[in-house]
Amino acid sequence: MKKPVVRATPFHARAAAANLENTWVTRNGITLASSYADANDEALAARLRVVIADISWRWRVMLEGPRVVEFLAKLVTRDVSKLAPGTALKALWLSDGGGVRGAGVIARYGRESFLIAASAPDMGWIAQATVPYDVKLRDMNEEGGLAIVGPTAQATLQAAQLPVDLEPLAFRKLSWRGIEVTLSRFGEHGGFEIWCAPDDGVLVWDRIARAGESFGLEPAGVAAMDMLDLEAGIARPERDYEPARDGTASGPSPVALGLESLIDVEHQVFNGRAAYLASREKEPKRLAGIEIDSDTPAPFTPLLLKGRVVGHTLRSVWSPALRRAIALAQIDVSCFAPGTKLTLTPPPSLAVPELRTASACVTALPFLKVPDSIAP
Amino acid sequence: MSAIVVGGGVNGLVAATYLARAGRKVVLLEAKDALGGACATTTFATGFKGPTIAHALTALDPRVVAELKLARRGLKFAVRDMPTVALRADGKHLVIGRDVRATARGIAAHSRADAEAWPRFRRELFDLARAMRPFWWDEPKRGWNLPPTIATLRRQNLAAWLDSRFESDAVKAAVACDASGLSPLVPGSPLLLVWRGCQEMCGLQSAAAIPLGGPGALVDALTAAAKVASVELRTGAHVADILVKDGAATGVVLESGEEIVAKRVLASLSHSQLLATKAGRSALGIGESTALERSVPAVASAKVLLALNAAPNFGGSPSRGRFLLADKIETFVTAHAASRAGCMPEELALEVVVPTAADPALAPMGQHVVSIRIAPLPRHLAGSWDAAKAPLAAKAIAALERCAPGLARHVTAAQVLTPDDIAKRYGEEDEVTVERVMSDWPSRILTPIKGLFLCGAASEPVGAVSGRAGRIAAAHALREAAK
Repeated sequence: MKKPVVRATPFHARAAAANLENTWVTRNGITLASSYADANDEALAARLRVVIADISWRWRVMLEGPRVVEFLAKLVTRDVSKLAPGTALKALWLSDGGGVRGAGVIARYGRESFLIAASAPDMGWIAQATVPYDVKLRDMNEEGGLAIVGPTAQATLQAAQLPVDLEPLAFRKLSWRGIEVTLSRFGEHGGFEIWCAPDDGVLVWDRIARAGESFGLEPAGVAAMDMLDLEAGIARPERDYEPARDGTASGPSPVALGLESLIDVEHQVFNGRAAYLASREKEPKRLAGIEIDSDTPAPFTPLLLKGRVVGHTLRSVWSPALRRAIALAQIDVSCFAPGTKLTLTPPPSLAVPELRTASACVTALPFLKVPDSIAP
Repeated sequence: MSAIVVGGGVNGLVAATYLARAGRKVVLLEAKDALGGACATTTFATGFKGPTIAHALTALDPRVVAELKLARRGLKFAVRDMPTVALRADGKHLVIGRDVRATARGIAAHSRADAEAWPRFRRELFDLARAMRPFWWDEPKRGWNLPPTIATLRRQNLAAWLDSRFESDAVKAAVACDASGLSPLVPGSPLLLVWRGCQEMCGLQSAAAIPLGGPGALVDALTAAAKVASVELRTGAHVADILVKDGAATGVVLESGEEIVAKRVLASLSHSQLLATKAGRSALGIGESTALERSVPAVASAKVLLALNAAPNFGGSPSRGRFLLADKIETFVTAHAASRAGCMPEELALEVVVPTAADPALAPMGQHVVSIRIAPLPRHLAGSWDAAKAPLAAKAIAALERCAPGLARHVTAAQVLTPDDIAKRYGEEDEVTVERVMSDWPSRILTPIKGLFLCGAASEPVGAVSGRAGRIAAAHALREAAK
């Protein structure tokens, strides 16, 4: 058996130096700083100033071949044929039974090449699906990616002599003072992403860090970025829900995860379309946010309305920006209107051991709207 | 044209005839020059005719026979209700017939306990079969639920199931022959036996019957019925692809480039064959096509026809029987395991019929035809099937010689169809699985393409000459047309 090793990102040297707490997590098999000092501060910095976050853990694969458009029409839930090179869209891919297998960005690099970037890998499925279309797959996971997020992200980029005229969901390959990088605007939290070759990682980090110095730039760890995701109401595969892994699975339903907007029902040929159309009316649950008057509950804590279970929580987090515990929840369609008061059993707490129930209030998603964010 | 039927096998003919009888304008396209598919009579040596593949009808749907008036179109049976004869190397052949008591008396020669258990077993089997009949014969009515006994059976394997009922190898092996499509160690394998029990309830011709003139006579009768219903029959018409527009079938295109337009297409294809078409590729789900690509059947069968210049002597058993050759239930277990590994099984399991015993006209006076089905065998043999052709025939004859001494001396000609030959001629079959046996008709007949129905033997719960898939597919097509 191969010994497990630290799979570092191109930014690891800088991340290790900045990681005061020496806290690390593994995502998609890659070692990342969980937080550099305090996750709450980092999340707030992303709201108030500017942060850089290592997003090299995102799973990315390049698809190439003369029939790649035909292939993607089958694979993903939206029509990519009209995308211009240099632009992207967000879409899902479903199992035969209409369950969500993955969600990600589909970016058009050229006439016959596309990139899929997602937060969870699904190589087996995509590789298998390419067989009849003769599409070649190229692993792009060696590249390093930094997200630059925050109100002064644009100013930081300008200071770093990078172009800032990108439209949302657009990207551009450019030569940046001698380094080949790809600059994109795919993020849900506003800001930009910069992708570079592994060897250029440290240089890219240093240049951005120096440019952002006067804007109060600091690195943000995975924990802070997860907080932002939750505040933005984004459910991600593997982290927030178990994606369909069986080829014919009918769940999780895109409707119950609030992902319908990524499905174009006019797009005729995508995998799982018939099953999705047949089941979407019947899906009883919807994704909603809840604000909780207690500590963060565990995933799948039942939510009650007048003693009846009407849903359950998914991941929850204490939001430093809202100063309260928030959670994503799947709630019956009959009571997911914002303002509905629910109750739940909070996790045991030493501070108030007598607390048996806590109240939760249904909130519309996202909890917090970032001005230039790109809604999922 | 209102409907196109692709493939002129038994099911294709049945489907086309039902559609035409409902007033539709139907064309049937057959790639080969003759109709009938795997159900055919072949002249394999001068003066000797024998069944190409199917040698005994064990699942023919009596409603197809009655509704299409096949008797009036010339279908006669040379023999109906053939007894099953389990040949034993020790000469104590076991005759299993419809008469439960007579059978039990025969079993007593092997085991007294088994003789007592036999009527009980038949009752149990037929109770199960009766419970499943609505599901396998036709589409069950609303409110029909899977009997709980069947759910239990799905978890049991045939070897254990029979072990708990019988003690003698003779009985266990004879019974297991009818469920040889799956290894007796596979959970759910007893269901194949229940399916077989269901067929025996379809009337005498389904127990095991031979049409007068061989299986081709059934095709002749079906062809006549199709012609009376004014189906347009076209042979030598090779379909290149199914035309699909906006997720609905619009017709077919022939290899000659000719396009035939129709709203409904009924194809005698297996799911894996459908996957091979361009239309199927784009219509089937990624998960489904992946599963299909991976479920390449490992196990197949071979067919041997022998011409004999004397009557075979099976030690005094009635020669109008369906002879089974398998020493014990483990023969099937090891043969399945070897087949999966791509090796020739050490012991072969044979099903033998002597068509000339019932229908002497198939061979010159006094001479005979012996038809042997060998299964399980590897679909893909390590090495090549062509090289193994002669050894396979020799091995089958040697096995037969042990129970019918002297037979080998009388063989004057032989024809061997290996699994490769059969796949080349009739296409790759879908794997036999418990899931397939337990799936409902719509899931086997309907496709993701609107207006495209699968009506071939691959749409039966277990591949067989029955006509049921054709009949039910036609009913689906008509129902959709009425919408």
